[in-house]
Amino acid sequence: MSDVHELRFSRQLYSGEAVDQAVKAFARFAAFDLEQTDDHWVVRMRPTNPDLARRLRGELGNHALGLTVQRGGAK
Amino acid sequence: MTTPIEGAPAGLVVADEQAAAVHFLVDEELYPLPAIYGAAYVFIDRCYVFLDRPEPARVRVVLTVKAGAAAPEALRALIGEFANELLSCAFRHQIAQDNRVLIETATMQALAGAMGQPSLDDLAKFDFSDQGFDDPLGIAMSWEEKHGRKSPKSESEGAP
Repeated sequence: MSDVHELRFSRQLYSGEAVDQAVKAFARFAAFDLEQTDDHWVVRMRPTNPDLARRLRGELGNHALGLTVQRGGAK
Repeated sequence: MTTPIEGAPAGLVVADEQAAAVHFLVDEELYPLPAIYGAAYVFIDRCYVFLDRPEPARVRVVLTVKAGAAAPEALRALIGEFANELLSCAFRHQIAQDNRVLIETATMQALAGAMGQPSLDDLAKFDFSDQGFDDPLGIAMSWEEKHGRKSPKSESEGAP
């Protein structure tokens, strides 16, 4: 079983919808578990291919950031 | 393990050679958030960009090289280019803020012009009695109208 990788997106910087949409876009490459705290959108992922974990983390972050910017920010 | 980058402000920029990443702590008072978003967006195709807010009014930008390895010189160049882009975005944001009224006015006029000429019904309803503007100081008058010699006819009208 592959390791669980956790990404914490600041709620002041990332749109929640953008993070959700990014997770959906990468759903076939990993199993995702979402949680929200007062300050962060927490995404835990377990990649289907552990060798792709680094790339998956980066691309997920880029995707969430891109969608957030296109939405005009976190709010 | 993170190490400071030569030539970069101490404590604000550090490199993580093992992760092929650079961390840049940006002050939001100097660089507004839209500028940070703009610069980050430009770098999305070149590296993995992650934003975080470790403390109020500060944004940490993490740029990770996609290839997985990078020489210290490459990381230094990367953060330098990002800083330049950030400055450019901040300046453009400032210009947009300063000229917002002008841009909105020009856009409104362009849209109004694109609506075409008024119809006969619009003209029939238009109130032509309204004065264009008040000019109590006579600023809109020509020099001849304001200071020119009076015509002989108007001078003779006052004579007995």
